[in-house]
Formats: sequence, C-alpha cells, structure tokens
Amino acid sequence: MDYVTKNKVSLSGAEILLESLINHGVDTVFGYPGGQIVNVYDKLPLYEDRLHHILVRHEQGAIHAAQGYARASHRIGAVMVTSGPGATNVVTGIADAMIDSTPVVVVAGQVGTKLLGTDAFQETDFIGLTSPISKWAYQIRRTEDIEWAVSRAFYIAGSGRPGPVVLDFTRDAQVGMAELKGTTCDFIRSYRPIPEPSEESMRIAASMINKAKKPFLVYGHGIILSEAEKELEAFLDKSNIPAGSTLLGLSALSTDNPHYKGMLGMHGNLATNTLTQRCDLLIAVGMRFDDRVTGNVSTYAKNAKIIHIDIDESEIGKIIKTDVGILGDAKHVLSRLTELIDKRESYDWQMEDIMCNAVEKHKVIDPEINPGEGYINPGEVVARVADKTEGKAIVVTDVGQNQMLAARYSRFAQSRSMITSGGLGTMGFGIPAAMGAKVAMPDRQVCLFVGDGGMQMTIQELGTIMQEGIGLKIILLNNNWLGNVRQWQELFYGERYSATRMVNPDYGKIASAYDIDYAFVEKREDLLPAIDKMLSDPTKPFILEVHVKESSLVFPMIAPGRSVDEIMLTSDESFEYGN
Amino acid sequence: MNLLNMETEELYYEVTVYTENQVGLLSSIAGIFTRRSLNIDKLVVFPSEIPGVHKFSIRTHTTEEKMKQTVLQIEKKVDVIKAFYYEHPNNTQKEYEAVRKFLQGHEK
Repeated sequence: MDYVTKNKVSLSGAEILLESLINHGVDTVFGYPGGQIVNVYDKLPLYEDRLHHILVRHEQGAIHAAQGYARASHRIGAVMVTSGPGATNVVTGIADAMIDSTPVVVVAGQVGTKLLGTDAFQETDFIGLTSPISKWAYQIRRTEDIEWAVSRAFYIAGSGRPGPVVLDFTRDAQVGMAELKGTTCDFIRSYRPIPEPSEESMRIAASMINKAKKPFLVYGHGIILSEAEKELEAFLDKSNIPAGSTLLGLSALSTDNPHYKGMLGMHGNLATNTLTQRCDLLIAVGMRFDDRVTGNVSTYAKNAKIIHIDIDESEIGKIIKTDVGILGDAKHVLSRLTELIDKRESYDWQMEDIMCNAVEKHKVIDPEINPGEGYINPGEVVARVADKTEGKAIVVTDVGQNQMLAARYSRFAQSRSMITSGGLGTMGFGIPAAMGAKVAMPDRQVCLFVGDGGMQMTIQELGTIMQEGIGLKIILLNNNWLGNVRQWQELFYGERYSATRMVNPDYGKIASAYDIDYAFVEKREDLLPAIDKMLSDPTKPFILEVHVKESSLVFPMIAPGRSVDEIMLTSDESFEYGN
Repeated sequence: MNLLNMETEELYYEVTVYTENQVGLLSSIAGIFTRRSLNIDKLVVFPSEIPGVHKFSIRTHTTEEKMKQTVLQIEKKVDVIKAFYYEHPNNTQKEYEAVRKFLQGHEK
C-alpha cells in the first residue's frame, strides 16, 4: 500500500473518496457524471489503472449493474452519480437492493453545504428519500469525514444481512483538503451484524428435527449470502430431509442434488408446495416468508411446527408464527445443527414428491418445454439454453413470465448462478444486472432472459454494452405482450387486456445500430443452431430474439392471496394431492 | 396475554429508543411508524443520561404483535443502540377520562 508514503500529503476530498473506494477492494464503479460529482470525475483518470469506471446510459442502469456485479461475485457493488436527478434515478435500484439484501454502496454528489435546503439547482433531499429504503444513509459534509464514512459504508453494506448504503457527498467535502489515513472499520457500537445463536434454541430445534416424521426444509438467499452452500448440503446429506428453494435461493443447491425438490411459491413446483402443506416440521433457513411463497398465511404449512433460522431478528415471527426462532448466521447454525441431529437414512414420506413430479411433468412441464409443434414456447427456449450451457451459465432474468420460466426451467451446477429481482420485482432490472454480472465474472457465460416489456425499460444500456464490449447473451422472449399482467387479465380479469398489448420495434435494427450480433428465431428448427451461434464466443454480446407463443401462460400457479393448497395446473384444472 | 389478544387488542405503548446522535434518525424512526400506519401520540427526544446517547420516548397505540415487530425494525437501524416497549401505564388515560367526565358534567 502506498498509504504510508502518501500519509503526509494532503489530498482533495475527491481523491480521498477514490483512494478509499480502492482501499475497500473496489475495482469497478458504475456511474454517470454530472455537475455535483464532476470534481470526483476530474480525478478519476489518475486512478484508471486501479479503478475501472463504466459509463452507463441512465443511472438506473448503474445501480442494477452494481447489483448484478455484487450478486454474481460476493463483492460489494459501487455506484457513482450526481445529485438531484442522478440521485433520484438510482432510487428504484436502492429499494430493490434493500429488499433483496444486495450489498451496494452508492456515492451521490450533493450541492455545497451552504446551499443545502435552499432548493438549489439539482438539490434533492437524498438522505430523506433513501433512509427508509437503505441500510444506512449518510451525508458527508467535511473532507476529514470521508474515509470514516466510506469505511463504515462498506462494513455496513457487506456485513450481517447485506444491503445498500448511500453516501450523499457534498461539494464542500469533495473540494476540501485532508490527509489520507487509510481508515478501516470492523466495529460499530450500535450495530451487531452477526448475532450469536443460542445453543439452547439449536438443541431444541435439533430434537424437533430428530422427532419429526415429515420434515421439510425451505431455504432462501441467506444461504448464498452467508456462503453456507456446503453446510446446507452436509445438513441435508446427514438428515436426508427434502428441500425447496425460494426464487432468490436458487442455485445455492445444485439442481442435480438429490435432496433438491424445486422452487417454492406462486409458480413453484408441485412437490415443494405440496410438501410444505403436508410436512409436520418446516425448517426455514435464510428466507423471509414472502407472500409470493406463502400465499394465504393462515393456511400456510398448516400441519407443521416451524423452525426459522435467520440473521435478522425482525424477520423471525414477522409473517409466520415460529415455534423455534434461531437468530444467527446460516453457515454457523447449519453446521452446529448438523452436529446435533441424528443421521437418518430415509423418511416414510420421502416418495410423496414423486407423484407430484409425475403430474407436473405430464400436465405442465412436457407441454411447455417439449410441445413438438406450433409456436415456440418461452419455457422451451429456457430449457434449450439450459441444455446447451449444461447449467453452468449465470442466469439473469428480468421480471414477469420470462423470470418465472427462467427460474423453473434453468439448471444450476453452481451457486451464484441466478440473478433476479425478487422482492421488488423491478422490470428493467435484466439488461443492466446481466451487464454487471458479466463484468464481475468475465469467464462465465451470462444468459439474460428478458421479455419485450423489460427489454425496452433499460434498452439504452445496449450503448454501455457496445462501448465496454460486455459479452452477455440477451435472450429476448418476444410475445408482443406484457405477458405476466396479460396472464392475470386472462385468468382473473375476464380477459380484459387493458394496456398490455405492445407494439415492438425492429430489434434487429436496434442490435445493428449498437453493433451487437443478433439472430431472430420463430421456427423450432432454427432455435438450437441459433443458441449455438449465440454461445460460440463468450466474450461477445449477442441478442437472440425468439418470437414465442403470444398467449403463453405460466403454470402451475397459486392465485394471489389463495392458499398454497390451491394450485392451478392449467386455466381450468387444479391439482389435488392423491388424485 | 394469549395469542388472540396479541393480534387484535389495541393497547397504549411507551416505546423508548436509545440512539447515536445522527442526523435524520428522527425521520427514519418516525417513518417506521408511518409505514405500519401507527399513530404517534407523543414524541420526546432528548440526550439520555449516557453521554453521547440520545433517547426517544414515543407513545403509540397498537396490538402487541405489531408493537413487537415495529420495535425490532427500529432496532435494526444501524445507528439505533437499543429499543424497548412497555405497556403504557394506563393512569394518564384514566386521568383524562376523569377530566373529560368532569367537564361534560359542567357543560350540562
């Protein structure tokens, strides 16, 4: 480190910020310059060998890219934007990162301290706007506070339950001079990121697990965030308990793992939702019982005692009454529980998922991914890409039908292979998030599934992809509809298709304008060759537009607000366990 | 208190929050009440007896279930040190009722 030599030299606040970012391991920052951050941008070229700045086309692209970067790599994403509109444009992404526990640090320029509160040009109360949707929001008013604030920001963003942190960086602090100290932070007295789990609660849980006749484990993003994949696998190997994943937990267990039974929730698998309702013990790890998972809470897991393991105390008992709550880091708790539980070879109820799988395959999966003739189904495209990548790609999705189908029909060989906007459900997340994922993991294939709606919400980032040569693969499932809302309209709103029909541009011309390779497929026989062509060079971006069946519906489906027992297999057929 | 009452019976609560002295905490704590549609009946913020630690004293009315979750969400804020809630001693309410009754008697 050159901190020792630079120690006695005074630097401007702008330089101190950049030094601090590098000091905290940042090698890439996604951003957009503007009047109140121009001082920092002025110093950027001095650091270009250590800090790569990626100029996005809209600030929303910067924050989603940082989210994709963080989710793919287990590092902290960094964003730099100007005040006012630059800052407000990242608000959606901050809310998204908060609800999906994604570690990002956002540095936003701010007007000089004398102008604060005066409605100055491009002034906005960014702390006021972001404190309800960020883990920590702090305004840096003095140059000598920069290092302190940045080190706290990175510590807070990455520790415990991760989340977005906002630094509102006033102009005075940017232009002032101070000495660089190399400040780091690993303790804040008001903040206990990793609670110590109580041995007693773990012993009680272990004895419940040992006594259970029909145990079932559900896990979420917490497994990936705490890097507890191996511990989860060891727990399942010893206990032989079947497991289901939330949308954000996907890829924590390989889809080939024998204990893995599928995805939970509204468009989850029959087996996982049925096991939830039939189990006598539900062990929930690193998940928060989102309403898309639970359906009607009053009938959720109605036969089960509940053990909830989470790092965030406010999650335990928030939605579902728990019999035992274990507050702690999933990695630590699972490894201790594995020691405490008895080895079990099998459970009597272990075959129950097989019947569910057979029904789902016959009624839903085969017709979706192997229709044989007619229009190409969107799920079919996902399945063919999964075949070709052998589940090794990082799958990124936008939001809607494309997302649910990508979640259902992708395969995952390793963790951190599913990046999607879960809690907030942000359309437009896909392109920039995939961009960030590819920047973080250049050696992996990154395959984005996006609909024609979400594609156009952040389509401007094709410019960033062009400028930076980011080799992501965009699979555009074009049905000329906002498919997910259309599905609700068809099923629950009397087929009144209000504002969901979408007339699309010629994406081939758009791709050519951005100098991105492109293929269009509407015939089944062209699909596999086009996927091969798309995947042939992982370093080059590619847009594969597939014209898919317009009226395609995603099943199974638990209608909003209904019980997890009430699973629709098609528009007019429900699933009854045992029939 | 049984579970059913926890979910439905509204009581007065006194919430106390001990925090670092950071700008913006008042609005972010108040925001947690707003998000859950809880009315703040009384709010006092002052330096506590511990140097450098600020104290919020908040009165609200809600169910115990909601109160508990709200306090956990407040405590989750990085700059919040500790948060507590107590069933509000009902004396004040009884006094108010007595005063109201007295005044009504005079109006007639």
